Amino acid sequence: MEFLLENILNLVGFIIGIIIGVFAYVGYKNTGSPVLFRLTIAFIAIGIGFGIIWMGYVIDDVYLQEGKINRGLQALGLGIQTIGYFFIAFSHTIKSFFPKSRYFRSVGILPLFALSAMNIEHIIRSFSFILLVYGAIETFVSFLEGKQKGALAVGTGLALLAFGEFIAWYSLVFPESILYSVSILLKISGLISLFLPISRLPLRKIKFDDLDDDEEDMKFDDLDDEKFGR
Amino acid sequence: MGTYRKQIEIVGDILYAAEELTIDQDGASITKLIQKANISHSRISKILSNLVSQGLLEQVDSKRACRYKISMTGKDFLREYKTFSEFTDNFGLTI
Repeated sequence: MEFLLENILNLVGFIIGIIIGVFAYVGYKNTGSPVLFRLTIAFIAIGIGFGIIWMGYVIDDVYLQEGKINRGLQALGLGIQTIGYFFIAFSHTIKSFFPKSRYFRSVGILPLFALSAMNIEHIIRSFSFILLVYGAIETFVSFLEGKQKGALAVGTGLALLAFGEFIAWYSLVFPESILYSVSILLKISGLISLFLPISRLPLRKIKFDDLDDDEEDMKFDDLDDEKFGR
Repeated sequence: MGTYRKQIEIVGDILYAAEELTIDQDGASITKLIQKANISHSRISKILSNLVSQGLLEQVDSKRACRYKISMTGKDFLREYKTFSEFTDNFGLTI
């Protein structure tokens, strides 16, 4: 049951991540907005991360048949997903991710080499959780300011992903309980909630045929950087 | 505390103003664009020439003064700008 749910979750995550990532990329190509560029990296990374884990499950199901995914592959997928969550949080102007002190920074890297793949997974999950909570809070704050329903759906999606991540981490304490299945269902709900507002936007091919490449590259970079008050 | 517009938002506002004000072939005057897009004269001149060179706005010859109207490419850009602006708004971000 858990195996099937994991497969569904990771496939849904892969598809939704790539769709939103491609949509953001089209937006970046046409507007040159750095925010859209960061969202492109974020969602492509999230999609690839889910895709790697899904592939791990498929490989196990078809070839290895051990009934569990390779831990290294799972850690890799989760790590790439965390990069995606980081870029969502970074878009909300996250200021510092690692401690500033050189000593703490060097000590902070050591466990990555000293711990097993299972422990690395815990570390990655905790990072994902923090980043998702940060992204969810910032999105909820934006919803309170703008009252936009889309922001509420995205904020709820990120919050559900965070809660799912937390439950997944907690389920390691009670491995045989229902917690892990609950966490997967929460994450699937989160991904669907994340996709809802994007699905309402028109997904179509965009063309600026009469602009040649040089003009398109130029975009608005040659305008002054000076800001102008509204 | 006042909020600051990014370059692309200013461009979006100018194109939006040009679209709103382009009711006939005459196009919109700079004064109207300044008022509608809330931007200074010194700043808008450079942006307008840039938008014209990129084909997003068209300069209309007029006896009275320089007038501008939004081109088809400009309308396409503005439509996409609105779409992706909504997309980033959904994440609590500004384009």
